[in-house]
Amino acid sequence: MRTWHSLFGALSRFRIPPWLYWSPTAVLLATSFYVPMQISGRSMQPTLNPDSSAWRDVGIFDRFRVGLSHDFHRDDIVALRSPENRDRMLVKRIVGVEGDLVRTLPPYPDSVVRVPPGHVWIEGDEPFYSDDSNRFGPIPAALIDAKLVGILWPPNRFGRLTPDVSLAKNGAAYRHAMTLLQKERSRKARVNSIHIQG
Amino acid sequence: MTYRFWASRRLAEFHSTSWSLRGRYLSRKCLHLLNLGCAIHLTAEYIGRPSFMSGPSMLPTFAHEGEVVIENRLSYRLFPERLSRGDLVVLQSPIEPGHIICKRIIGMPGDIVCVDPTGVWAPSTEHVKIPKGHVWISGDNAAYSRDSREYGPVSMSLIQGTLFARIWPLHRATIFRNPMTFLD
Repeated sequence: MRTWHSLFGALSRFRIPPWLYWSPTAVLLATSFYVPMQISGRSMQPTLNPDSSAWRDVGIFDRFRVGLSHDFHRDDIVALRSPENRDRMLVKRIVGVEGDLVRTLPPYPDSVVRVPPGHVWIEGDEPFYSDDSNRFGPIPAALIDAKLVGILWPPNRFGRLTPDVSLAKNGAAYRHAMTLLQKERSRKARVNSIHIQG
Repeated sequence: MTYRFWASRRLAEFHSTSWSLRGRYLSRKCLHLLNLGCAIHLTAEYIGRPSFMSGPSMLPTFAHEGEVVIENRLSYRLFPERLSRGDLVVLQSPIEPGHIICKRIIGMPGDIVCVDPTGVWAPSTEHVKIPKGHVWISGDNAAYSRDSREYGPVSMSLIQGTLFARIWPLHRATIFRNPMTFLD
């Protein structure tokens, strides 16, 4: 009897500190809506981590819409778990969605591929440095974790993903914008998104 | 002091207070409930959860409907290298995003597997080497299962956890063990 009393006494004196008690809400709020992530590597140049920048970009990613409704489209930049290594996150651009005909780039064995149902074709903007669908083929859409909505850091490129060509005044900014435009055009020319039923 | 006495006292306290105090009390209760919900969600996501099984693809291991199993999410998260052939895994479907499927692991990365020994999906002589970071999965009921025979090796990044035990129906309650036997 006495031991029970002392045990209850000890238990009632132990109080969960408030920060620990409220941690589930805090963790869920911090990880399931907008999440900042640092982007490393050159595979998304010149959109992300351009050579002209001294810092590595920090992007703000939307996990909620992707996780809830798989809301992503062609040309979105997404963060996904690598199909070959669970612990690695990749940042790539969705080039083709299910049903699209994509003209592939060299490491891939076939020259044209039809993206199977539930899959997407992802590529880095700089194919030379990129580990993407040209190496491991179309990836299941379930691997997509978040969608890039803007750049958080460095401050001079805050917010924007695609620079406006008409606003580019000096030569370097104009060249940068034109490179992006050209890349976008050549990327779109490689995808046939007209689906013929039957 | 019985619970009923304690509850009636709490109720009397609640009724005797002003509306603003009642509102504060109720909103505080809602916050606590929300916090509890978040804790349950995180536990289900990272440690384990009960889940309902349905569908014919895993007969006779699982019935067509009405069975409840416990998923173990923690051990695959902590020790992904402990996954082995014969384990029951829960994974996101590679062909239907948002769908969760349960299958058995047949081949690990680097293995060479026969695509379909019955010759329905592919000639029975066709073999595939499983690439790095992928596994070959199959349902126990081959006639009614869409699995690797149809869509090829699946990425291990899609795996969410392993099955730990069946808790319902009670007379079929078991802890799942790896059934693999090795022939030398």
